[in-house]
Amino acid sequence: MAIKGAGFKKKSGSDSEIPTSSLADIAFLLLVFFMVTTVFRKERKRDIEWTDAEATEKIDEKRKNIVHIWIERAGTVYINDVVTPFDDISEVIRPLYAENRELVIALRGDREVPYSQINTITEELQQAGAVRVTFATRVEQRAVRARR
Amino acid sequence: MALMNRRTKVSDEIPTASLADIAFLLLVFFLTTTVFNEEKGLPIVLPEQSEEQDVSPKNLIFFIVQPDGRVVVRRGESEQEQVVAVNQVATILRTELAANDNLIAAIQTHPDAAYRHMVNVLDEVKLSGAERISLQELEN
Repeated sequence: MAIKGAGFKKKSGSDSEIPTSSLADIAFLLLVFFMVTTVFRKERKRDIEWTDAEATEKIDEKRKNIVHIWIERAGTVYINDVVTPFDDISEVIRPLYAENRELVIALRGDREVPYSQINTITEELQQAGAVRVTFATRVEQRAVRARR
Repeated sequence: MALMNRRTKVSDEIPTASLADIAFLLLVFFLTTTVFNEEKGLPIVLPEQSEEQDVSPKNLIFFIVQPDGRVVVRRGESEQEQVVAVNQVATILRTELAANDNLIAAIQTHPDAAYRHMVNVLDEVKLSGAERISLQELEN
């Protein structure tokens, strides 16, 4: 009737290692979360050269409130990946603006586009009633400015 | 023979010790490669179409952008014109704004001037802290 291990049992001694069996679950959960919440850029990349501006601000606007208008150097205008003639811009924007009153128009023009085209677009936007406009620019550092 | 028992037995479980490492590696990879599509630019609110305001000429300062990128400054009242470099615009406007709070900076751009020239001037105007900005196309 000897007591096994003289009364000291291994069972009572707590494990000195951190339990890592659930670590994989946590990591995969995070991975899946980020994959699900990531929204991919819908538009195709256009070949434009950005303008730089030092006063560039971050536009804190929900993605669904922003409509991009691209103006390529050749004068082609794209709205939501569709080529749009200058005269039709207001017709395209008007229903979008009627749907969403908080609409912001981001004008992404090539730096060499003549201003007359930009002016035509802003006039079309005024016709459509969409008056919140952003001239998309890149942030410019002060050191670069002297070269202007 | 009883000695051989335990040692040769192969574990029938899939080793999961490195699974966390793999998952974290994937996580870090995706976190670092994700580029956020930030919207950046110079915001401006265009006037409503019906909106036509009468502005006293003394509250106006014109920045006329030439096709070659030079800027001509004209105070509303006077006919006097002054050619300046783009990077002087902010300084000029700042002093003018200090004298008159209601000043409207009107950027008149030549139709043939490149968009970047107009953005450069708008940038300067924004830097000077002007709130009231008007964009126009230069009429001949």
